[in-house]
Amino acid sequence: MKRTLVSAAAITAAIGLALTGCSGAPAQQDDDGPVTLSVSVWNMEQTPEFQALFDAFEKANPDITIEPVDILADDYSEKVTTMLAGGDKTDVLTMKNVTDYARYANRGQLLDVSDVVESLGADNLAGIEPFDLDGEYFSVPYRQDFWLLYYNKGLFDAAGVEYPDHISWDEYKSLAEQLTGETGGQKVFGTYHHYWRSVVQAIAAAQTGGDLLSGDYGFMEDQYSLALDLQTGGNALDFGTAKTQQISYRTMFETGQAAMMPMGTWYISGIAAAIESGASTVDWGVAPMPQIDAGDETVTFGSPTAFAVNKNSEHQDAAKKFLEFAAGEEGAKAIAAIGVVPAFSSDDVTAAFTALPTDDLSVTTFSEPKDVVLEMPVSEYSSDISTILDEEHELIMVGDTSIPDGIATMDERVTGDVLE
Amino acid sequence: MAIAATRAPVRQQSRARARRNALVGWSFILPNFIGFAVLTLIPMGAAFVIAFMEWDSYSPPEWVGVENFERLLGDQSFWIALGNTAYYAAGHIPLTMLAALGLALLLNKRIRGLGFFRTTMFFPYITSLVAVAVVWNMLFNPTMGPINQFLEWIGVQDPPGWTTTSAWSMPAVIITSVWRDMGYYMVLYLAGLQAIPQEYYEAAEVDGANAWQRFWNITIPSLRPTTFFVLIMVTIASFKVFDLIVVMTDGGPGRSTLVLSQLIYREGIRENRFGYSSAISLVLFLIVLVFTVVQFRIQKRKED
Repeated sequence: MKRTLVSAAAITAAIGLALTGCSGAPAQQDDDGPVTLSVSVWNMEQTPEFQALFDAFEKANPDITIEPVDILADDYSEKVTTMLAGGDKTDVLTMKNVTDYARYANRGQLLDVSDVVESLGADNLAGIEPFDLDGEYFSVPYRQDFWLLYYNKGLFDAAGVEYPDHISWDEYKSLAEQLTGETGGQKVFGTYHHYWRSVVQAIAAAQTGGDLLSGDYGFMEDQYSLALDLQTGGNALDFGTAKTQQISYRTMFETGQAAMMPMGTWYISGIAAAIESGASTVDWGVAPMPQIDAGDETVTFGSPTAFAVNKNSEHQDAAKKFLEFAAGEEGAKAIAAIGVVPAFSSDDVTAAFTALPTDDLSVTTFSEPKDVVLEMPVSEYSSDISTILDEEHELIMVGDTSIPDGIATMDERVTGDVLE
Repeated sequence: MAIAATRAPVRQQSRARARRNALVGWSFILPNFIGFAVLTLIPMGAAFVIAFMEWDSYSPPEWVGVENFERLLGDQSFWIALGNTAYYAAGHIPLTMLAALGLALLLNKRIRGLGFFRTTMFFPYITSLVAVAVVWNMLFNPTMGPINQFLEWIGVQDPPGWTTTSAWSMPAVIITSVWRDMGYYMVLYLAGLQAIPQEYYEAAEVDGANAWQRFWNITIPSLRPTTFFVLIMVTIASFKVFDLIVVMTDGGPGRSTLVLSQLIYREGIRENRFGYSSAISLVLFLIVLVFTVVQFRIQKRKED
């Protein structure tokens, strides 16, 4: 008796939760008068791009007020999923990654905004491809981060070597060896590889044309042997230490413990801020990501961030207006001014990008045409495969398995457990 | 007849009083019980049902029968997590109990600074877990950590890589968790020790029993209820271990420290597979239940 009661209560609760996800068409309010637009964001305080965008938008549209819905970055995906399931009416939703975007769009929770993409011009928007779902767009990217090579000019000058201008991985390796040493009693590593698997795997996938969802990972072999050679040679901090000590890549670079570092463009605003506040005195520059052959067109990886309109929004016109502004030239200039890389590109936007060092190499790194491959392709298996790739990456990097064995296990687990 | 008539109101009265007493009692328990019911009992009951469903917390749940359990049997990660949980329990339970008992015996003497030592031993238990994990990770650092420097100093040629290798990561986690938990169980043992009448020891001394005999024949038997309680608590805590592993190794390297509760979290919260994750949690629940019942049985047989 008691057990049936409990199960009945449980089923009711479960079904009740599921049912609240469904609701009728939202009542559209007249957007002529003053409107308050709610926008979901994460860690507002540490993510200045949001405030920059909101300020610029409110200035251009005095009748619309933005009300941020601030969510903890680590909980962002889960929180937005729950909000949408509960029929929440937050007008604009920030898409932190493409995987979540695909999930929300396929569930029919986002408004079709193809008209906004069309008016901005898909060609002007970097990173737009993964948002294309059978010719329709449910989100517009406003920010496109990609990976490049940060380097410490002071350490390069001291070692008497040339800056890493469009180099190959072989040249990168020998540079790392030359730059390793000691300055003022402090150990200097030639380079620093952060412990994320993308540092090895996404670079390999982008530059060899390999597919991270394929279950066939032989293409990672060269990149893994490079990474392992660098750490066994003492030219890069070893993976085990970096991972278990939760080393901050910012500290490694800003205190001059690493002469080079492959990292994403989001760090530009961070390092610029550190130098401005006096926390770091590093003389830095950026160069394109090293390539398999030095003469190749620059191929790297990255991921876009986008805005979408909630289907339940009561201010859809105003919300679309915000998307068009934020992803367009005005929004791009506003975030470029604080060192964030916008998806929209134009000469004016590049000129507004003042956080970047002014040397030719840094400017070229930005303005040259390049192929930015999506960090992790989107599919229903992305998350499961990502977990496997993470686990095997660790085992290879700490030396518990050899590169061929590790890759064989990845192949086997992804093919056998996920793709079936 | 007349007697029966007078008795009836009395019985009614006493029944009314009993009911009032019960109501008063319930009203005291109720606030706590509501919290327990809403946050623990109903979700637990729900897990029993959801384990037979496919549910991503968004779409309507779909009844799939035992499919989740079939999948579990073929899931390599599940078996690895099960093995790791057993490994952790096999190390954590006896070592924690031994360390706690040892400390309690040491600190049950009248020594200078007793309060200070007792407090010190209890400190790890109330320290923030994240801080514990970060500091121990530093201590375990294979090249620069003090533990390996010490091992090298005493002549160990090839000290272990601790959390950076799959072979030594679990021992590292166990050592940390024993250090963290021993103070708490030490307090329980201390209470048990203080409850042993001093006369037993005096009588034994008169009979010429040495320290070891006194320990083995008085202390250990007298501590049996405490030991049993500690055993149950440590066992349950061991099987449920989650937080320390998540912050210390996050299951790595590879899957070498992946435990069941972590797999439940991953499958449920991260992958939105609440059905499958509930199925795993049912298995964990059964394991804990079986162990607890067996321990109760053994204890009962010993008492009889």
